[in-house]
Amino acid sequence: MTSKRSLWMTLLVVFALVVAACGGGDDGATETTAGGDSPATTSGGGDTDTGGSGGDDVTLRVLIHQNPAFTEYMEAFNADFEAANPGVTVDMSIVAPGDMATSIQTRLSANDVDVIDYCVAPCAGFSNAIQPYMTGVDKPAWQQLIEANLIMDLTDEPFIQNFDEATVRDAVSFDGKVYGINMGRNALGGMFVNQTLLADVGLDIPATWNELVAACETLEGEGFACMTQGGGDTWPIFVGSFGLLGAEFPDQEALSEGLWTGEIKWNEGEALALIEKFRVYATEMLEPGVTGLGHDEATARYAAGDVAFLPTGSWQGANLDGFEPEFDWTYIPFPGSDDSADNQYLFGKYDLSFLIAEDTPQPDVAKAYLAALSDADNYQAFVDATGFIPTQPAATLDSTIGEAVSPLLDNYRNAFEQIWVAPTGAGQWANAWQGAAWFAPFNEFEDAQSLADAAQADLEAGLSG
Amino acid sequence: MAIMNKNYLFGSSSKWTRYAPVMLLVPGVFLYIMIALGPSLATTVYSFTDASGLRGAPVNWIGLDNYDEFLFQGAVSRDNIDATLRTLRFSVLVTFIQFTLGLILALLLNQKLRGRTFFRTLFFIPVILGVVIQGLMWKLFLQPRGGPMASIFETFGLQSEFLGGLPGPAFNWVIVVQIWANVGVTMVIFLAGMQTINTDLYEAARIDGAGGWELFRSITWPQLTPAINTNFLLNIVGSLQAWQLFLVLLGYKPGTQVLGYLVFAEGFGQGDSPSFRQGFAAAASIVLFLLVLVIGFVANKYVNWREERYMG
Repeated sequence: MTSKRSLWMTLLVVFALVVAACGGGDDGATETTAGGDSPATTSGGGDTDTGGSGGDDVTLRVLIHQNPAFTEYMEAFNADFEAANPGVTVDMSIVAPGDMATSIQTRLSANDVDVIDYCVAPCAGFSNAIQPYMTGVDKPAWQQLIEANLIMDLTDEPFIQNFDEATVRDAVSFDGKVYGINMGRNALGGMFVNQTLLADVGLDIPATWNELVAACETLEGEGFACMTQGGGDTWPIFVGSFGLLGAEFPDQEALSEGLWTGEIKWNEGEALALIEKFRVYATEMLEPGVTGLGHDEATARYAAGDVAFLPTGSWQGANLDGFEPEFDWTYIPFPGSDDSADNQYLFGKYDLSFLIAEDTPQPDVAKAYLAALSDADNYQAFVDATGFIPTQPAATLDSTIGEAVSPLLDNYRNAFEQIWVAPTGAGQWANAWQGAAWFAPFNEFEDAQSLADAAQADLEAGLSG
Repeated sequence: MAIMNKNYLFGSSSKWTRYAPVMLLVPGVFLYIMIALGPSLATTVYSFTDASGLRGAPVNWIGLDNYDEFLFQGAVSRDNIDATLRTLRFSVLVTFIQFTLGLILALLLNQKLRGRTFFRTLFFIPVILGVVIQGLMWKLFLQPRGGPMASIFETFGLQSEFLGGLPGPAFNWVIVVQIWANVGVTMVIFLAGMQTINTDLYEAARIDGAGGWELFRSITWPQLTPAINTNFLLNIVGSLQAWQLFLVLLGYKPGTQVLGYLVFAEGFGQGDSPSFRQGFAAAASIVLFLLVLVIGFVANKYVNWREERYMG
């Protein structure tokens, strides 16, 4: 009997040891500062000094997404931050945009990260909030993170004041509290235009849909490609068509509500006409072979100079500059309507936001990091490097993309992907705003009516569920 | 041969003699509980909740709602059933082709051929590459703009968009990559089986006038029964659970998802849903588990019957 008891006792001890080992009592795997001064969270000028950490080594774990111009800026910024804060090491992980959701979910839950660049698809800050007319939909990822107490409340941090009020309210606030800093907006509904090539073949920049169709025919007749795209990554195909969506439905909030209430149907009227334009864009305007190009590869391909248009987000402006193309380029709203007045809007989104993990073992260093990113000089350098539309009132757009986008900002509107949430139970075709990616050669649809009918049926299946 | 005294291992104490074997099992049992049984049971429980997988997030019991959504709700249930059928199609094709190809390669490389070690290594190399490397290699190989496969197609006047094109061909290319990536294991298991066959059997059969096909049908095939059974089960279970290559090669592409990928996409915010839905993903994984269980059970019954028939 005694032997049995000792056996069970031994088993229990082993089990407890295994559980203890798996549980991990350490709040993060970093070396934390012990004593010393906390870094100051204010910064002044370009030489940001967060006050150091009193001599003990501190590692700040930062997670960001891959974008060549952005990551290059962040690497330089981190070097400056480390130089200004002896003892602080920034351990930055860079992951593909598509993997951000998984990385954020797992690393925040494991308390394995201090600062995150919140760029979970659609990489648009705290947008796609549940609207009053939406019922039974899942909470967006950012709301789940906040409600799980994984994100630090930064409402009272002074660096928040560096950003314009509307951005703070719309991009990084929830339930009256501020949870981050939004680093800028990006236009989605536009396209890069190779002005040199157009001039060579005697074309003006198209201002309407018909002019664009005619321009493509002329270009192809001259042996040039009309448009290229990162079709291998799928999402650039429909992001490239957001301008079409905006030109057909300039009031995108009304489109979202109309689809939910049934006032607008994908397979009727303007929506059906839009889907037909998606077809023309995907099957006739994009050059052959784009199914094998990634997003950044498409920009490299465009830089070669024999393609007239690249419909994508304005964030690729800085990357395009990086390829040093030997032609003049600009960025215009996608001329998706036959009425040029409808083609004046620039649809876009709040892009990446930096947030701090609630349980970070070094909150002061993390706040200092965000303070340094918010510093006016550093922020201007960020805008210059990435071409983001600034969300700080004092910052200016001096880059090539900035010059193209600045005159259009009065007509800036939120893009549909920031507003729309599909009803639970809706089928895979319900999100017909992505429809450009479902036409051949990318997917199975060949005519607009079939896709529109499938989309409406799948949407109604969710609405009635 | 000397018979080992059990006291040599466990000492002379009768207590130790009795309990030491149990104690030696403890680490293995605990490891199994911690990394296999425990998570499996947790997944089952999770499938009845709205868990997000986030530390600190509330978890509510929602009964069969996840299963109801997966199997019956709206058009999404149609997509899920399609994914299930696609998983079965993937498994049947991969199992059949990989099994056959592995056997053929093993038969060839079991001959006394010049350079057979090199070819054995060549066919096994893909196995040791990670899925990401395998995927990236094939993405480059299948570039529709001037990639090597596009050039080969061009030679025959053919054209394809490969992975970025229609769901059907894209899905078939994943099957090709899956087989390429794993046929080395199938081949090695067959090779190991072939090398245990007594060569006297072949010699005797040849003296009796047996030809190549007769040797294979009457000696190799029956004698390979353990290897055949192992490969059959490994191929079925492995292909039913495959999802990583779908992620690397295709990402979220309507018309190509298999159940394994659907579990990952729903659980980690990768699909159309902007949320983390590990409760729903757990329900999907239980459906996948049941599928593997039923098919695995039937397959196991078959291989046992086969083993009984050929090996006695």
